[in-house]
Amino acid sequence: MAISPPTGSRTRLTILVVASVTLIILGLRDVPVVRDAREGAARVLDPVTGAVDTVTSPVRNAWHGVTDYEDLKDENQRLKAEVSEAKGNQVAEADATKQLSELSQTLDLPFAATLPKVTARVVSGPRSNFSHAVEIDKGSDDGLAVGMPAATGAGLVGRVTQVTSSSARVELLTDPEFRVGVRLATTGDLGTARGQGRDDPLAVDSSISPRTQVPAGTGVVTSGVDRSAYPPGIPVGTVSKVREGSGGLALELVVDPLVDLDTLSYLTVLQWLPQ
Amino acid sequence: MRSHRWPALRAAVVLFLALLLQVTMVADLRVAGALGDLLLVVVVAAGLTGGADRGATWGFAAGLAYDLVLDSPFGLTALTYALVGYAAGLAGSALLRTSWWRPAAVAAVAGALHAVLYTAVGNLVGVAYPFGQVPAIALVQAAWCAVLVLPMLRVMWWVHGRGEPDRLEVLLR
Repeated sequence: MAISPPTGSRTRLTILVVASVTLIILGLRDVPVVRDAREGAARVLDPVTGAVDTVTSPVRNAWHGVTDYEDLKDENQRLKAEVSEAKGNQVAEADATKQLSELSQTLDLPFAATLPKVTARVVSGPRSNFSHAVEIDKGSDDGLAVGMPAATGAGLVGRVTQVTSSSARVELLTDPEFRVGVRLATTGDLGTARGQGRDDPLAVDSSISPRTQVPAGTGVVTSGVDRSAYPPGIPVGTVSKVREGSGGLALELVVDPLVDLDTLSYLTVLQWLPQ
Repeated sequence: MRSHRWPALRAAVVLFLALLLQVTMVADLRVAGALGDLLLVVVVAAGLTGGADRGATWGFAAGLAYDLVLDSPFGLTALTYALVGYAAGLAGSALLRTSWWRPAAVAAVAGALHAVLYTAVGNLVGVAYPFGQVPAIALVQAAWCAVLVLPMLRVMWWVHGRGEPDRLEVLLR
């Protein structure tokens, strides 16, 4: 059973490979024609995907009923416990919120107080095994632009990478291409967090000396240093592990994101662009 | 040989529907954190029924369409689908009068191969896709391909007709 392709097949495959590689190079250089093609595809597909989403929702619901049953049961019990606890904390939280609001006004914290925001619904999760982006139902008509950060009440979600008039794509912070300048909330030490893929924590390359103690649970927020792509003070995650970076000259921190990206239904886009 | 009309139009319809179902429904059906890949099933079926040439062409077209709606490097899916479609076509050439389960086995191997290939080529072009997630993705893609390739072969016959080379028709009739 010999497997030998005819010469014509090899020629066609060669042409297709060369064409693909050319497209990859053009795409990596972010040439306008590729960007326009993707935005055009989004404009065409958005209305249709909305309708198909509705039609196929029973299938998806049935699937989640089967595959997520145990998780849902556990989550239900956990949520019940949290609701009880939350009721007890309600009064104290109301007071804390008032104090935070006053502090924000006093210190003029950009994230907490003055940034205009647009809340959007997540209409589609990552579309392939190698995709780390979600689609949202707000676009340039609502004031969104490429580069704006997205967050939830828990913390940073990612940033807007593509916008049409009525929709946008948000790159999640788990994307291997994602980078954000961060600082430790306790000490102010700076570093750069990078995504490592779905279900994996962020890795933070820092300049922190290996002799420094960074306890697990330490909060990490966006640094907002000069020309940063993100405003300062957005919560990113908490340190779960500390290890020596390559070369042993500085620490590398493993950071668990605060936002649960698997259950993202709504997010808020901060109408802020790098200065 | 049965007369057959508008194969290009039929192919476009199949690609568009597969793309729509992939981004709306299949993209929400995760198992162990991984997704199936309906477009890959289409590409493998095209290779199995039409040979390496057709597999590569469908792979390139399907990959290009998928790349338009993804955030990964443009052209990467077109490249990997074309290679996998070509390989499936070569394997299809060797399936003459073999048992019915071989197309499913070839499709499973193609599904797993694509996960490895995509991650490897992605890393080559500078995107650090983690290799740790490849086993789960490979298993899920292999299962999807194995289960869906047989009905997808019939879709391919609807697109291109049952002309020569058509080695699987006898087995699946």
